[in-house]
Amino acid sequence: MNPTSLIARDELRLMRRNRVAVIACLLLVLLTLVAVASSWAHQKGIEDLRARQQHEAERAFDAQPDRHPHRVVHYGTFIFRPLSALAAFDPGVDAFTGNSMFLEGHRQNTANFGDVNQSSLLVRFGQLTPAFVLQAVAPLLLIFLGYGAIARETERGTLRVLMMQGATRGAIVRGKLRALGAVALLVALPAILGLAALAATSGAAILPTVAIVLGYGAWLLLWVTVIVLVSTLVGRSRDALLALVAIWAVSVVLLPRVATDIASAAVPLQNRLQTEVAIARDLREMGDSHNPDDPHFAAFKRSVLQRYGVTRVEDLPVNYKGLLAVEGEKVTSALFDRYSGESYAAQGAQNGIVSAVGVISPAIALRSLSMAAAGTDFAAHRGFLEQAEAYRYDLVQRLNRLQADGVTYADDTARDAGADRRKRVAAGNWEEMPDFAYRAPDGATLAARSLPGLAVILGWLVFAGASLAIATRRLGERQ
Amino acid sequence: MVETAPPILIENLAVTYGDHRVLDGLSLSAPEGSVTALLGGNGAGKSTTLSTLLGFVKAHAGAVSVCGVDPGVAPDAARRQIAYLPENVALYEHLTAVENAQYLLALSGGKQDRAAIVEAFAAAGLQERAWGQRLGAFSKGMRQKVAIAVALLREVPVLLLDEPTSGLDPRATADFNALVLSVRERGTAVLMVTHDLLSAADIADRICFLESGRIVEDVVAHGPDRFDVRALHARFAVATQRLAA
Repeated sequence: MNPTSLIARDELRLMRRNRVAVIACLLLVLLTLVAVASSWAHQKGIEDLRARQQHEAERAFDAQPDRHPHRVVHYGTFIFRPLSALAAFDPGVDAFTGNSMFLEGHRQNTANFGDVNQSSLLVRFGQLTPAFVLQAVAPLLLIFLGYGAIARETERGTLRVLMMQGATRGAIVRGKLRALGAVALLVALPAILGLAALAATSGAAILPTVAIVLGYGAWLLLWVTVIVLVSTLVGRSRDALLALVAIWAVSVVLLPRVATDIASAAVPLQNRLQTEVAIARDLREMGDSHNPDDPHFAAFKRSVLQRYGVTRVEDLPVNYKGLLAVEGEKVTSALFDRYSGESYAAQGAQNGIVSAVGVISPAIALRSLSMAAAGTDFAAHRGFLEQAEAYRYDLVQRLNRLQADGVTYADDTARDAGADRRKRVAAGNWEEMPDFAYRAPDGATLAARSLPGLAVILGWLVFAGASLAIATRRLGERQ
Repeated sequence: MVETAPPILIENLAVTYGDHRVLDGLSLSAPEGSVTALLGGNGAGKSTTLSTLLGFVKAHAGAVSVCGVDPGVAPDAARRQIAYLPENVALYEHLTAVENAQYLLALSGGKQDRAAIVEAFAAAGLQERAWGQRLGAFSKGMRQKVAIAVALLREVPVLLLDEPTSGLDPRATADFNALVLSVRERGTAVLMVTHDLLSAADIADRICFLESGRIVEDVVAHGPDRFDVRALHARFAVATQRLAA
């Protein structure tokens, strides 16, 4: 057996004989298994609930009686965002962004009912997920197991003993790396197996699953390297422990929080009330379809009459009120799209700032990678919102066109006793309206979105490795 | 006829820490099967001499060789020739005496079989009941015996001792001295850095007084009394007073 293997074997033997270390390892493995099981159960519960609610919403929409189409526009419908296949591993922003939307005419609603709004305080403090265990808890365990790897040898004088037996500096450091790496693998294994099981049962794509495994592997390897590096640079175990806990607290706890605060301060987002007031003001300025003197809608009316070669709306072969509704929805939707575009741009800028801070803190990069690959990041949420808006617009315009074609202008404007019945269209029309079908991003897209985060972590790994190589050259010189 | 290099050879060695010259023209050689004691006050450069032989400190000037290997150029090769016992013998407390020996011998590529190890323990005077015990409760003397046993099994030509008898009771000191003599009988060159004049006089073939980084007096044992202990003591007192001044 070569010196590296011998040193690694002895380091593992030391850990095995340390009851606290063994119990801590077992607890973490247990915690990871519980996290996998509870996340999987949570995901199944949410999936079933959302599927049930989606089915109920579709049934209620289809079960409407004969109605005027514009009443159906206002009746609206609910849609629910299906969970991504790997959401159980890393739920990302899902718990905070809301997962259901009420779609109706003239309005672009936001997603509602995020888990944090309807669950216990525990959800706010962070659901126990495999991602959380690997991001925050596993590095802490590695620190407590590995802080003395080299510092302990220096402190007790055994470093020279090892070197006196012919073990080179490189062999000593590699042995410690290998031992701590084996512990990291042991710690990560339950989560990786859980991820593989989740991916297999939920039909997740291979590429994002591989990206997650690579990302977390590099993350833990980075911690192993940093721990051995600090242990090499610092002469005393106690100092190494303090330094490493400080690095953990800053990079894993503090910087991710500070990054979001910086982003919020640098690019403030309008709140919902401000946005609604601004939209209402713009709508007033845009024009009123009911006002015959409104320049935009007067011009629209002239163009319609001209297109059909008539002089009065009563002579049109279609219901002018329906056409007016189509035009009104088109105009208001363009306005909504402009506001949502501005909001997306601001959120994108905020995410850009957080990513920039992520260059300093690989923990942020890992979270980005993990959420992106799991399909639970802001980009995936935005994809859902955009698909929902496209569906809403299409549904409302179908109903508006149904009004234009299925209800006569005379009936639509009549006010006699039987007019209300004549304005209705058959209930069968509602069933013909398409249901919302969310198209999740494919595996290649998710994997591509995770690459920047992976690049940052790998960059840190290279930097830490180079620093360790330099520190290794001077190991044992100043004793 | 090819002349082989002595196990320890130091010629005009100079070592500086920053502006402070710790060793200044130190010359010393130790042949096979000899015990050389290096005496001097605190700060005289004794430990630096050992660190230079071990390759942990680079020479500023002069030449150092361990069995013909320059530890400044090839520290790993030089260390393979050396067994080193620091003042406080550092071994692994989570391992038993036998496991310590097995681990260290495996690293150095020496004999690792239990029979050879317990034979060496017996030769070093380590009691049998201690062989399977973890080192946490071992005294300094017991640790030294483990380390000496490992050195015996490694069969290295050079043994460096740094204050080996400090903190040992008279009985343990006598045991240790006997052990060092048995190592010398195997042909090992022993270089011992110490404040313990009596021990040095007891086992050394040669005593060198180190002062301000150089050897100022070199006394070789002769006759049945070996050394004039009273004269050595007076010489040592003068050296330490001068250093303190």
